[in-house]
Amino acid sequence: MVISPVHYIALPLMAAFLIPLFGKINKELVRIIPGLVLLYLSYVSVTLMTQVLNGPMIVEIIAGWNPPWGINLVFSPFSGFLVSMMTMLGFLIWVYTYNFKPEVDYSQTTKFYTLFMMLITGTIGIVLTGDIFNLFVFLEITAISSYALTAFYRERDGAEASFKYILIGSFASFFILLAIVILYTQVGTLNMADIAQKMPAVDPYIKGTILLLFFIGFGIEAEMFPLNGWAPDVYTQAPGPIAAIFSGMVVKAGIYALIRVIFTLFDVPAVLNLLLIMGLITMVIAEVIAMRQERIKRMLAYSSIGQMGLVLVAFSIGTREAIFAAIFLMFNHAVIKGLLFLSATYLVYNSKDKEIKELDGMGKLMPFTSFMFALGAIAIVGLPPFAGFWSKLYILIAAADAHMIAVMAIILVISVIEIVYYFRVVHRIYFRKATSNTDIKIPTYNAKFTLLVLGLIIVVIGVYPDLIMGIIDKAAADLLDKQNYIQSVLSLR
Amino acid sequence: MDQLLTISFYGTAIALILIGLYAVLAKKNLLKIVIGLSIMDGGLHLLFVSIGYIKNGTAPIFSPEVLNTKVQMVDPVPQALVLTAIVIGFAVTAVALSLVIRLYRHHNTASIDEIKNLRW
Amino acid sequence: MIKKVLIFIFIGIIGFYLVDIFSQIPFGEKRDNVGDFYLEQSVQTLKVANSVTGIVVNFRGFDTLGEVTVLFLAALGLSSIMYRRKKQGEKEVRAKKPSSRILQVGAQIIFPMVVVLGAYVFIHGHLTPGGGFQGGAIIATASLLMLITYRKFKVNHNTVSWIESIAGVVFVSVGMVGLLKGMAFLENFLDVGELNSLLSGGIIGIIYVAVGFKVAAELTGVIDTVLLNNRPDNNNENN
Repeated sequence: MVISPVHYIALPLMAAFLIPLFGKINKELVRIIPGLVLLYLSYVSVTLMTQVLNGPMIVEIIAGWNPPWGINLVFSPFSGFLVSMMTMLGFLIWVYTYNFKPEVDYSQTTKFYTLFMMLITGTIGIVLTGDIFNLFVFLEITAISSYALTAFYRERDGAEASFKYILIGSFASFFILLAIVILYTQVGTLNMADIAQKMPAVDPYIKGTILLLFFIGFGIEAEMFPLNGWAPDVYTQAPGPIAAIFSGMVVKAGIYALIRVIFTLFDVPAVLNLLLIMGLITMVIAEVIAMRQERIKRMLAYSSIGQMGLVLVAFSIGTREAIFAAIFLMFNHAVIKGLLFLSATYLVYNSKDKEIKELDGMGKLMPFTSFMFALGAIAIVGLPPFAGFWSKLYILIAAADAHMIAVMAIILVISVIEIVYYFRVVHRIYFRKATSNTDIKIPTYNAKFTLLVLGLIIVVIGVYPDLIMGIIDKAAADLLDKQNYIQSVLSLR
Repeated sequence: MDQLLTISFYGTAIALILIGLYAVLAKKNLLKIVIGLSIMDGGLHLLFVSIGYIKNGTAPIFSPEVLNTKVQMVDPVPQALVLTAIVIGFAVTAVALSLVIRLYRHHNTASIDEIKNLRW
Repeated sequence: MIKKVLIFIFIGIIGFYLVDIFSQIPFGEKRDNVGDFYLEQSVQTLKVANSVTGIVVNFRGFDTLGEVTVLFLAALGLSSIMYRRKKQGEKEVRAKKPSSRILQVGAQIIFPMVVVLGAYVFIHGHLTPGGGFQGGAIIATASLLMLITYRKFKVNHNTVSWIESIAGVVFVSVGMVGLLKGMAFLENFLDVGELNSLLSGGIIGIIYVAVGFKVAAELTGVIDTVLLNNRPDNNNENN
């Protein structure tokens, strides 16, 4: 059997249906199977990436009908890079969750691992697909898994956060489906390459409306202001590793969908200005609010929103180096924010309110976890020699080259704000005495392994960024090359 | 006649969407909000199916009677897409209702004003 | 008060935009789209009379796979959200009072008819309007009828779980057989037979039957979970 992109979807689905049956044979299998699937998919990622980096992009046909009549999956340098990142990050997070909360009983554990695997599969599906309605279906798969996982714990306000998320998420689905309806009447096809080809012939007023609807719909998923009201509550209430998946994968998939629609499907350069403004507003407001937060996970959530705003700004600058910087930032943010969420989860494991002031003195009580958190904090504000430095630098260079001095200034001011609130936390961890009755929980070996690997990636990329810069450069070139996308998909006719 | 048909199909669908939107935004009872979401979905699906209609077209099923005559059939694609969308809408409604039940159990009230533990 | 005014303004804007856009999309006009290709191929290549089924299961079968997954996840999520640990000595109670005589007699007559109708709909999905989802929903309605009528009627969640899993595995395996044979995922590899006969369409019939079972089992499970868990929290425990 040839390794092909459909394995990313077929195998997790098969595993998800089989987990209850396997569970009857041996209860431990329920926890192990998602890990095995993710490990295999990481191997598939490496194989397929080496193939597309040296040759044409892989377009796989489903059900034997060529595009534009059938559905197809597209594994190009850009989508493939994101998918590889998601599978490997997913595997690392699985390692972390292996015996995260041993007191959860068996039937809940089964559901958790199945939902966990399907959440990752949903985000991978969003990135891989080449058909706009299929994108909607995978978006819903991701959304439903997120709704269920946010409300997983009983003793928190997860149900309320999840309900808020459902309301706003349903609006997102509504807008996207409405956009697809209107789009279908105008171009008569659902295949993205075919739509891209037929788009110039569409009436400009209707085209603008469709684009606006997609912008709002995907903007909700990508945490753009003012559509990100759901994000802080959801990140705070969800289990720690799930918050890491949300910030590292779900949001990236949302941004990918938005970018794919703007860059490949439509030919309206004016929307990039709108994107720039929205990105800047998102960034500024989110980072300012982050400063006022007293609870650690909420602070990380607002910081995530701010970073996503920065990614949108970078994409909207539109030059090749800006897109390169944006993709680099997406990668860095996924790894670093993952590390921050995962370490913060253990730092506040037994606390009820998860407030920052409870982190006092953790430097002495939990040295390894605190060190990892501090590493993440330094990396995310963009200080050398860690990975975050390079992405910030490249964004600034791209902004300078595009003569957007105001944008540069805003980014620098925001970076200062970030340093303030992150270092406030690090200061508390290391330079204050612990309060008397903190009940700490030492992370398990597998959790430490994940934290260590994530930290190593941050350090290694920081010192040798060339390791992935070549891949990201190809990804950026691929996104800008609309004609290549259309030709590769439709030439299979 | 044409105008009447157009208005009745598109008009009903858009009216449903607006009614559902009103219920989601203005009502305080959680259950009514979920029902509003469901109505909005219904309106959207109706809109989608209406797109596919072709004048004097018949259902896209090749039963033995229509095989030999050349009839105009309506577009089958919106119908297939709506099938998927209905199931997805149902799934979201189901999850939303289970959350309503859990919130009601926990707070003993189903009013959205009371359930505001999470602040800004 | 001001909130209501804002809401009405907002609804007005959305309504205006919708009417504006859709007035530019004429109703009932034939447009150039992929539907024509599907109609033609349904008769020639797939030999499936119900072209909507052909699209749902074959041309856009990947979407259906995603849809089946969404349903699966919703059932899973629902039972995970409403989960409570069983306390000692707790009996499963569904309804407080017995149902009326009319319901009990009527249900005995109607139940088998509804089940047969549901099975007919999903087995003949490729010949007549309907299909796996519709047929499965009909059968779930039958079990809802049973649940309302008889207090002792229990849904065995174990059986439901087995049917769900096996039906899902059948769907994905049929797709993977295509892969193993060197063709595309979900490509048709069986003989297509004659138009309008029961065995036409190749794998379409198999997939739809699997979907019918899966949907029936899932919806029944969902209804039963909600019915079972709807007692209020007496001790207000956060369990």
